[in-house]
Amino acid sequence: MESDQSQETPAPAPETPAQKVWDVPTRLVHWALAIGIGVSWWSVENKAMDIHVWSGLTLLALLVFRIYWGFAGPETARFSHFIKGPAAVFGYLPKLFSKDYRAAFGHNPLGALSVVALLLAIIVQVGLGLFASDTDGIFAGPLNRHVDYDTAKDVTDFHEDFFNVLLALILLHLAAIAFYLVVKRINLIGPMLTGKRRGENLTGPARGIEPLPLWRLAIGVALAAGVVWLVAR
Amino acid sequence: MKIKPFATAAFLALGLAACGGGEPVPVEPTPVVETTAEPMPEITPAATADIGAAPADIPAFMKVRHDNYEDIGKSMKVLQDNMKLDAPDIAAVTAAATKIRDYAGQMGTWFPAGTGPESGIETEAKANIWTDRATFNAAVTKLQEESTKLAAVTDAAGFKAQFPVTGGACKNCHDTFREEKDN
Repeated sequence: MESDQSQETPAPAPETPAQKVWDVPTRLVHWALAIGIGVSWWSVENKAMDIHVWSGLTLLALLVFRIYWGFAGPETARFSHFIKGPAAVFGYLPKLFSKDYRAAFGHNPLGALSVVALLLAIIVQVGLGLFASDTDGIFAGPLNRHVDYDTAKDVTDFHEDFFNVLLALILLHLAAIAFYLVVKRINLIGPMLTGKRRGENLTGPARGIEPLPLWRLAIGVALAAGVVWLVAR
Repeated sequence: MKIKPFATAAFLALGLAACGGGEPVPVEPTPVVETTAEPMPEITPAATADIGAAPADIPAFMKVRHDNYEDIGKSMKVLQDNMKLDAPDIAAVTAAATKIRDYAGQMGTWFPAGTGPESGIETEAKANIWTDRATFNAAVTKLQEESTKLAAVTDAAGFKAQFPVTGGACKNCHDTFREEKDN
């Protein structure tokens, strides 16, 4: 068996250059958002409101950083790179179903819409949570005291309902990833984990994104921490 | 959209107020508050030991009970708001806590026969309030004790220590005896 195997082992594929698609902060923020939303959902379902408040504030920090990174981050993280007009979005569909479709360098025009919608939905959800309160008034968002009782109640109800919108967008996000994996044979999860895409027929610069100076990252972290401190103090 | 029913039901559930079989009476906020320890509110054992006869007008009774819990919620918000301040307004805290203490004092009579889920009226009150009255009464007594302590706080440190404990007494009962309905 062993000898058979060694005989059948194909020659190692020629090293394809890896294209750096996603930088570390963008990946970390992505997965932290996913975990944070999960924790927020779990904690509120299990009435662990102290955890819910903290996960909400963590999500706020992540959002602040991600918005900053959308202007200061590397190419693929920038809003100006992936937010395209309707022409690009509609023009993308025929390309998607053409035979020589190539994975986009970063977000494709259609996926970008999903990214923006998800970010906006998380912003709305976290924003509402800042003013919300549990039914008993035992736990409340850090800005709850700036609104009156009835407003807080309406905000809280909306906060609860709006989660369904966020959930729908997350499901759409997962369905799209599954579509690319199964139908287009393009693995989007790998690059979001490793940051790199290997293979032929890549688009964008061969090496991908370039490293950025650390001070840019430091400003973003300070900004996120500062906003959360201002809100929560 | 399910906006109002949630909060409404939340308070309906808990608002089964009854005064010795009569209509539940909204507690007048005590205007003048001693800064030292308040005497324990009078809790007549008879009022809490028995379930009590069904009120004549069950829907009206449950409505008042709901409103009373809503009122407690408003007082909780005053307390919650002050929790976030470095220098809480102790006068406001004491007024709100006194209100809760007074409501808690009569809460044992808020759940007479016929005012539970079997009434067909939207409520978050669970049937075990009527089948496990001893545990329920113990939970009410707990709130009476803790809210009495809260109404007696004299400084920020005392308030910030006692508010979570009082909130815990609310939660203690809600976890067992309230069915939180989706809004």
